Amino acid sequence: MRSKNIILYYTKKLMAFVLSVLVLSLVVFYVSRLAPGDPLYSYYGDRVEKMSDSEREWAESQLGLNKPIHIQYIHWFENAIRGNFGISYKYKIDVVKVIGGRLPNTLILGGIGFVLIFILALGLGILCTWYEDKWPDRLLCKIGTVTSCIPEFWLSIALIFLFSVNLKLLPSSGAYSIGSGDNVIDRISHLTLPLTVVVVSHLWYYAYMIRNKLLEEVRAEYVLLAKSKGLSKKNILFKHCLRNIVPSYLSIMAISVPHILGGTYIVETVFSYPGIGTLSYESARYQDYNLLMALCILSGTLVILCNIVVQIVNERIDPRMKKDESVQVSEVIEVG
Amino acid sequence: MGIYMKELLEIKNLSVSFNTPKGEIQAVRDVSLSLHEGEVLAIVGESGCGKSVLCKSIMKLLHDNAYIKSGSILVDGTDITHYGRKDMERLRGRVFSMVFQDPMTSLNPTIPIGEQIAEAVRVHNPKMKKVDVYKRVISMMNLVGIPDAEERYKLYPYSFSGGMRQRSVMAIALASEPKILLADEPTTSLDVTIQAQILDLLKALQKKLLTATILVSHDLGVVARVADRVAVMYAGKIVELGTVEDIFYEPRHPYTWGLMRSLPSIAKEGQELYTIPGMPPTMINPPKGDAFACRNEYALAIDYEEMPPMFRISDTHYAATWLLDERAPKIAPPIGSIR
Repeated sequence: MRSKNIILYYTKKLMAFVLSVLVLSLVVFYVSRLAPGDPLYSYYGDRVEKMSDSEREWAESQLGLNKPIHIQYIHWFENAIRGNFGISYKYKIDVVKVIGGRLPNTLILGGIGFVLIFILALGLGILCTWYEDKWPDRLLCKIGTVTSCIPEFWLSIALIFLFSVNLKLLPSSGAYSIGSGDNVIDRISHLTLPLTVVVVSHLWYYAYMIRNKLLEEVRAEYVLLAKSKGLSKKNILFKHCLRNIVPSYLSIMAISVPHILGGTYIVETVFSYPGIGTLSYESARYQDYNLLMALCILSGTLVILCNIVVQIVNERIDPRMKKDESVQVSEVIEVG
Repeated sequence: MGIYMKELLEIKNLSVSFNTPKGEIQAVRDVSLSLHEGEVLAIVGESGCGKSVLCKSIMKLLHDNAYIKSGSILVDGTDITHYGRKDMERLRGRVFSMVFQDPMTSLNPTIPIGEQIAEAVRVHNPKMKKVDVYKRVISMMNLVGIPDAEERYKLYPYSFSGGMRQRSVMAIALASEPKILLADEPTTSLDVTIQAQILDLLKALQKKLLTATILVSHDLGVVARVADRVAVMYAGKIVELGTVEDIFYEPRHPYTWGLMRSLPSIAKEGQELYTIPGMPPTMINPPKGDAFACRNEYALAIDYEEMPPMFRISDTHYAATWLLDERAPKIAPPIGSIR
């Protein structure tokens, strides 16, 4: 009985996931093709300008761009479902290969950035709550507000100026020096500045949210009861309050995935970091349809997946969020 | 109550104020009280008269903007007025514990009931074995009348009814066998039928465990059922203090008269129910003299000028009204001894 419920539960989640990705692909497909611009440019480059009308027609039919959009979509969908996302117009190779070459770089930058933000935000939030309205809290709030107001591109340039140009301590661009791609220390030195920008520009936003959520919990009535039974401040904060903000914290962090990802896109561009961000920018800029589609599906899947995982985790942690009817039955009858 | 019992709690001239942007709010003003072993002391008064603040200030559960302005709190003869957080944590639960008004919000929604009671057991017995803690929790749940305790141990507060939650809160409050229980309007937010049950439970537990109890209430019916002694509070001050018999049969303060006359059971048939005219004063700038004077039909000229001291009526009965001064005109009280 229970396992059957669980299967049904996960089937529902899976269906929701598939449907969301489907809708996403449809919307991106249409919008990208309706947007102004000439996709032939990204395939043929400047040659497009010298093409005759018949040559253009031939080129369009070669890329399958002469058919109505819904036919193009069905064609794309048939291939995509077999794992064939087409070739990149610009790089003339399979888009999966193009993305595969860049993805690890972004995962390293975004992933480490995300984990750092995740941990540091929680730490700072707890610190501020513990010292509410005392000097550590006030100081952090002020520093945080300032740092979160600095735009990413400005901070990037300022850091490059300081550490690369003046102090000559760290490299200003790329993911590794030519010829030393396997050198870990070299990779780290290239990663330091972009990572700093990603973390610094996002950190306070989340730390402040945690601080406020925690302060809300600390003022809750149940804290008074916990205090009056003799629990220590530490115990109350960590065992009671923190536990109650975990669901909302996880939701916030899940929503932050695209946010932080978007942040890395900007940072990648400034630091010429060869990741998904620079690639996405190019593909949208030059109507590299297949590459754009694959990248959108990839980012979209990540975001939707994050949301679903968070939903499942939330229901595990906070029993009230579960719409399980079997629990409602045990609504207790008052006994005299 | 004639027998003198050991004083567990003694409050001397306690004043508690809040710092707010609008100014200082004097929530509790010059309150002196004592609580003896095994007795139930009720504190009655209108909303906002400072009853809850008084209780919370004893346990230091008030927010940071509240402070003890003057006076002292003695527990078992020890002055705890200036105790810090760590010292208070040691006392809470074991020396005094509290039951709150709304059981819907006073339990943590994400921790099973049994676990929340277990925490209260463990906090003062950190070395207790798991099995023993569990046994103690089950016995506490049985004590407060939660049936099928083993099954309910794992349930979350949301699957409990209001009455059951209040029972759980009481189990938590009594888990470390405190000497003093502060019950802050424990029945106010419950259904009327459940109120009676919880009250009976409180009374039964009190008789069984002999926990000295301070019961805060605005419901005189509740007070008459449970209390040994009653303190009537108005505008942050205690205006009358006495045994239940003193207060209900021979009230001496005009405010107590007003409270009594507002009871449906005391009003005469066909008569409109009495209400005390006006509103309690704001405590930012409490009026000079007797705070009740402007609502008091028996007010004397001196009431507007000078605060009345506590007049002693008998060994147990005190009231703060100038009417008890020997120079005051003799007034036949509207209720009480005239019956």
